[in-house]
Amino acid sequence: MNFAFTKEEEALIKEVRSFIGQERTPELIAESRDLGLIYGGPEARKFMKKFAAHGWLTPNWPKEYGGLGSSEIMTYLIRDEMAYAELPYIFVGAHMAGPTIMRVGSEEMKKKFLPPLARGELEFALGYTEPQAGSDLVSLTMRAEEKGDFFLVNGQKTFNTHCHVADYHWLAARTDLQAPKHKGVSLMVVPLNTPGITIRPLITMAFWRTNEVIYDNVMVPKGNLVGEKNKGFYYVMSALDFERMVPPGAYRKLFEEIVEYAKETKVGGAPLSKDPLIRQKLAQMATELDVANLLYYQLADILDKGKIPNYQSSMEKLFVTEVFQHITQTGMEVLGLYGQLKKGSKWAPLSGKVELFHRWSVVETIYAGTSEIQKNIIALRGMGLPRG
Amino acid sequence: MDYELNQEQQILKDAAHNFFLKECPSAFVRQMMEDEKGYTVDLWKKMAAQGWMGLLIPEAYGGTGGNFLDMAVLLYEAGYACLPGPFFSTAVLGSTALIDGGSEFQKKELLPQVSKGDRILTVAWTEGQGTYAPQAILTRAVLPKLFYLISGTKLFVPDAHVADTLICAVRTQEVPRDPEDGISLFLLPRQSVGIQSQLLKTMAGDKLCEVTFDRVQAHGKDLLGEVNRGWPLLKKVLLKAAVAKCAEMSGAGQKVLDMVIPQVKERIQFGKPIGSFQAVQYHCADILTFFETSKFMTFQAAWRISEGLSFAKEASMSKAWVSDAIRKAVALGHQVMGGMGFMEEHDLQLYFKRTKSAEWAFGNGDFHRELLAREMGL
Repeated sequence: MNFAFTKEEEALIKEVRSFIGQERTPELIAESRDLGLIYGGPEARKFMKKFAAHGWLTPNWPKEYGGLGSSEIMTYLIRDEMAYAELPYIFVGAHMAGPTIMRVGSEEMKKKFLPPLARGELEFALGYTEPQAGSDLVSLTMRAEEKGDFFLVNGQKTFNTHCHVADYHWLAARTDLQAPKHKGVSLMVVPLNTPGITIRPLITMAFWRTNEVIYDNVMVPKGNLVGEKNKGFYYVMSALDFERMVPPGAYRKLFEEIVEYAKETKVGGAPLSKDPLIRQKLAQMATELDVANLLYYQLADILDKGKIPNYQSSMEKLFVTEVFQHITQTGMEVLGLYGQLKKGSKWAPLSGKVELFHRWSVVETIYAGTSEIQKNIIALRGMGLPRG
Repeated sequence: MDYELNQEQQILKDAAHNFFLKECPSAFVRQMMEDEKGYTVDLWKKMAAQGWMGLLIPEAYGGTGGNFLDMAVLLYEAGYACLPGPFFSTAVLGSTALIDGGSEFQKKELLPQVSKGDRILTVAWTEGQGTYAPQAILTRAVLPKLFYLISGTKLFVPDAHVADTLICAVRTQEVPRDPEDGISLFLLPRQSVGIQSQLLKTMAGDKLCEVTFDRVQAHGKDLLGEVNRGWPLLKKVLLKAAVAKCAEMSGAGQKVLDMVIPQVKERIQFGKPIGSFQAVQYHCADILTFFETSKFMTFQAAWRISEGLSFAKEASMSKAWVSDAIRKAVALGHQVMGGMGFMEEHDLQLYFKRTKSAEWAFGNGDFHRELLAREMGL
């Protein structure tokens, strides 16, 4: 056992941290919050040009595709550092689509997409969820009909968050109506400016935007198919084992700000941090964050040992996102009445950050597999319980 | 980062698991709950023969020279088996105090005997206020002439009724402004004139005692560490013992899982195994999460102790987390086990009782969150 980072890892993180410190602009942070920490906005692309040039966006990728061939721990460390700095850290291209292309894509596709993804020049948007296919993703009905050398795609997606800032759609569509549901889905890459695609905003209660996307007779060349036809659902599911992970950094930063606030704010003549109840709550959050860290780095350790995380990534997602909600709730309790004040209000503590993240955290236990779905996976795969 | 045990630790784990499976079945645990001594010489000697009494003790003092992580591995299996008896008091609590605070003479005299299984130790710490906090240590040692006279009452002293040596925390000054000052530790033979111990009736049938000291004589050479400066040592012992308790509780968590999983797979209601119902699956997923996170927090802290790194934060986080998480895991275990788990004949109740006792031992969640709050500079 060893619960420390190596000297090299520490040194790299120092370098990344100092780079971020120098290059992080107020405009970038504002854009990052406005977009909900997803990648793809112009400020982020500007920043990423220099950041990714170090290989830091995809450090675990092989050098030939623009990575550093580094360990997963290194990759996890950098992602957490990005989250801590409130940089956009939710990447579909570099973290989800890219690795799947690497595993199952054609040589041509790898050459075309992987190097620019590693440079941060391209971003993808997940095209999975539909109005009638959320947790029950396998029931998706978007249709991709084979017509000679292209697919004709029709249907509707919803909550496809990156679509308004991304270049490509990472689309799951039904290519076989006769086969069992999970054997009739294919994955394809679709430029989002293809004629027939309409992207409409859906505004969340955290005020960042997600989208519904309508495909009306959209022609997608067959060369855009990822891997084999009708294997898309398997690709999506197995990708989740590799890539389902939530860095705790952004909320750790928020927690540190709440702690500072509690130390500096006096009520009844004494700092809030001297109140026994508040001390208990803050210590509990510090503890939960430490647990979250251990679950997060466990995933990297499993990958670095050449194994594939299984229920562990569900446990991490489940636990970490619930900690996020505990942290904003604790922040709200520390701030009391002030907790409801939004950014721009002259009395708003921490520029209204707790209020913003409190609204935001509602979705954490919902997106990318709800807490209930994660618990199902833990029970079925982690404990071998029978299916209902 | 490496979350796996090394090969030697894995061997120790497997050996301990099999040893306890054979030597410490639940019938034995139940018997010892009723037994006044709470352990058998036979098992004690067998454990000593394994080298476990001296696992933390350096080879120079006749020990096995293992590290704290090794001990955590062993305690995990002890917790899995609900091991009764004074092993924890001797090999963890008392030994840690001696190793970390004893003079060369004291270590040479006592530790080889401990390693051989010939000496049982314990620490007499808590008193009427029922807390490990320094201000609650009020047993007084006065020095009228050539020797100290110790008077007071200790409560919840583990295994004092069978211990050969008590490490007793006393006040050698009136409670000063800083209650951490003025505390001293004495090594006292339990047979000393003026010491009396009486078993308390506890939920888990573990052996906690009331120990009274009536003008017990002690000399300067019996001091463990410096006079009036006992608290820093005691605090270190507290944190290490807390992590060690976490290891026991984590092992208990594993046992709960091993009881729950087969049950929910086999128990049929409404024509299906109850483990196929989502309400039950969610409880099970929570048990697994509480258990695995407990393990990680425990081993992280134990590893830091082994490596000689700072461990105050991690130890308190671990005890705060594991105390609560394992309690919740056991409660959920009871919930899915149904009426059967409520029966005295089912083993789940043993773990309910023992983990409750472990939750309070060396500070519960609230206690350690307060310690952590101080470490955080709150």
